[in-house]
Amino acid sequence: MKRGIWDRETVALLLLAAILPLAVTWLLATGMSGAFRLLFVLVAAGAWHLVFMVARAQPPSFAGAITALAIAVLAPTDIGPFAMLLGISFGVIAGELAFGGWGRNVVNPATVAIAFLGFGFAAAPWPVLPVQLGWSVAAVAAIGTAVGVMSVRVIAGAIALLLLGWWQGLLTIPAFTAAAVVLVLLVCDPVTAAATGLGRWLYGLLYGALVLMFAAGWHGAAPVQAAISAALLVTLAAPLLDEIALRIWLARSKRVG
Amino acid sequence: MAYGTTHSQAADTIPVHITDQSALCAREEDDFRVDMLVDAGARVEQGAPVLRSRRHNELMLVAPVAGEVASVDLGPGKRLSQVVFFHASGNGRRTYDVAALRSGANPAEIRAALLSSGLWPLLRSRPFGRFPLPGEVPAAIVVMAADTRPGASPPALALAGREEDFERGMAAISTLTSGPLLLCRDAGSMRAGPAVNFGKAVVVDVAPAHPRGLPGLQIARRCPATVEHPVWDIHAEDVAGIGAFLSTGLVPETKLVSMTGDALRESMLVRCQPGADLRALCFDIVKPGPHRLLSGSEIDGVESRWLTTLARQLAAVKMPGIAPRPHWFATALRRSGRPLPIIPTAALDQAFASMLPAAPLVRALAANDAETAVRLGALSLVEEDLALADSMTGATPRLASMLRAMLDRIEVEGVA
Repeated sequence: MKRGIWDRETVALLLLAAILPLAVTWLLATGMSGAFRLLFVLVAAGAWHLVFMVARAQPPSFAGAITALAIAVLAPTDIGPFAMLLGISFGVIAGELAFGGWGRNVVNPATVAIAFLGFGFAAAPWPVLPVQLGWSVAAVAAIGTAVGVMSVRVIAGAIALLLLGWWQGLLTIPAFTAAAVVLVLLVCDPVTAAATGLGRWLYGLLYGALVLMFAAGWHGAAPVQAAISAALLVTLAAPLLDEIALRIWLARSKRVG
Repeated sequence: MAYGTTHSQAADTIPVHITDQSALCAREEDDFRVDMLVDAGARVEQGAPVLRSRRHNELMLVAPVAGEVASVDLGPGKRLSQVVFFHASGNGRRTYDVAALRSGANPAEIRAALLSSGLWPLLRSRPFGRFPLPGEVPAAIVVMAADTRPGASPPALALAGREEDFERGMAAISTLTSGPLLLCRDAGSMRAGPAVNFGKAVVVDVAPAHPRGLPGLQIARRCPATVEHPVWDIHAEDVAGIGAFLSTGLVPETKLVSMTGDALRESMLVRCQPGADLRALCFDIVKPGPHRLLSGSEIDGVESRWLTTLARQLAAVKMPGIAPRPHWFATALRRSGRPLPIIPTAALDQAFASMLPAAPLVRALAANDAETAVRLGALSLVEEDLALADSMTGATPRLASMLRAMLDRIEVEGVA
C-alpha cells in the first residue's frame, strides 16, 4: 500500500544528477560562451515544454534539461540562432512532445535535434570536445549505474568495444571522447534504450560496433558526427534488439502441460 | 530487498490467540453465490460446514471457530458478503471420517474430502488467481515453503514439529496432478531444518530476497500457467494442515500469522484462526493514533476487518496526515496523461527479481496489450505479484488493477 519514489520525475532528476559532473566539466572548459549556449537551448526547449503544458496538459519534465545540455554540448557550432531554434524545436517537438512527453518517446529528442542540425547544415563545423570531458564520463557512468538509472550492460558492452578499438588503434582520443560522451548523454537514456537484459547487451555492443565501423570506413567524418550517427541508428534498432531478446527468452523458458 | 523484521521466536513460544469474532468473507467481485447451511444464532462446531457454493455443490466452507453464528450477510443473488462467528469454547470440533483416506491415496476421495471440509479454498489456481474448480486438473502444483514479503511469518516456524503432517500432505496433493510438484523453500532456514522426505516433489531453493518468494514469479519462471493448463499454488503450512486433517479428521484450528507495521509497538508472531479479527489480534500492541489494518503485508495487503483466506500477515500502517489540497492546475496536469509513463530502471527490474522481462511486461499491461502480456507470463501472475512494482514505481493507475482488468477480460473473451 506504500507508494514508491521511482516515478518519472525521480528518474529524470537522478539522471540529471548523474550528468552534473559532465555539465560542470564542460562549462569549465567552455566558459561564458558555453553558459550562454546552454541558457539559449534551455530557454528554447523549455518554451516548447510550456506550450505543450498549456495546450495539451502535458506536465513538463526535468528530462528537458538533459536534452538541452546534450544539444548544447554536441550540436554543431557556428549555426545562427534561427537555425539553432529550428533544430531545437524540431527535435523537442517531433522527438518527444508530440508522443506525449518524456517516457513515451521512441527516439531521444536530443539525438533528433543534433542529427537534424548536423545533417541539415552540413557546412557547420562539429564541436571538438575537450579531452577532460571524456574523463568526466567515468563519473557520470559510475553515478548513473549506482543509482540504477543507467544500465550497466549498455555501458559495459559499449565501453568494451570502444576500448578494444582504441587498443587496436582504430579510435583516436577525440573519437573515443566523443563516443563516450554520446554514450552517457544520449545512448543510455533509459526510455529509448533497450529494456531487456540481453537486449541491453546487444544495444551497447551495437553502438560500439557502429562507432568502430564509422571510424574505420567513414572518411572525413568528425568524431561527434560519427558518434551521433551511431546513436541515432542504434536507437532505431532498440525495439528490434528487445524483440530478439524476448524471442530467445521465450524459447528458453520451460512450458508444462 | 533487505527490509523486514526478523522473527526470532521459537516455534513453541508463539502465543495462540483465538479472537472473539471471526468471519468468512468474500468480495463483491468474487461473485461467490452460496446456500447457507446454518442460520444466525446457530451453534456450530469448529470445522463444521456452514455454507455451500451454489455453482459447485460439493464445495463447502466451514466454521473457523467453535461457537455461534453471529450474523449472516448475503448480498444480492445470495452472494456471500460475510458470515461472522462468535467464539465460544466448549462447542467442540467436527471430526470428519478419514479412515478410508488413511490407507490408500485415491485422488477422487482426497478431492472430495478437501472440498467438503473447507480446505479446498487454500489452493489457488492460476490464471485468474481464484480457488480451483472442483473438477480442474492442474498441470503442476507449487508448494510455497518460502515467503519473502517484508516481515512475513517464516514457513520454517510454521512447519516446525509438523514434518510428518507435511509429508502426508505432500503425498496427498501430489495425487491431484499428473504434472510436476514443485516445493519452493527458503534457501536459508528450510535447508537447515530436519530432513523431510518430499516424495516426488522437485525442490527449488529460493533466495531470501523479495519478490523471489512470491509463487507467481516462481510459476511464471518455472511452469507458466495457461488457460488450458492451470497451475495451482498452496502454502506449506496449509499442506501440513491437509496432512493433519487426513490423519485425524480435524480441520486445522490455527495458522501462523505475523503482525508488522509502523503502527505497532513491536512486531510479533501469533497463531490465530482463519478469518480472525485483525483489530482484536493487534489490540495489545498497536500504537495510539489513526492507522489502517491490512490483511497481507504492507506492500500487497488489502484493507480489511478480517484476515483473508490466503493471508498470513497483518500490517498496521499509520494513516498519513491530511495533505493540503493540491492546486487545481497541478491536479489537472497529474490527471491528464494516464497511465503515467514508467521509466525502465534497475528498480523496475528488481521489482520482478529479473525473473521476468519487466519493462516489456509493464508496457504491455499499461497499453492493455493482452497478447504480449500473455506471451510474457501474465497468466501466471495475480495482483500480489505486481504489488512490489506498484509500490516502487508509484504507477498510476496501479499495475495490479490493470492486470486484474486484463485477466477478467481474458476470462470472459479468451486469450486474444
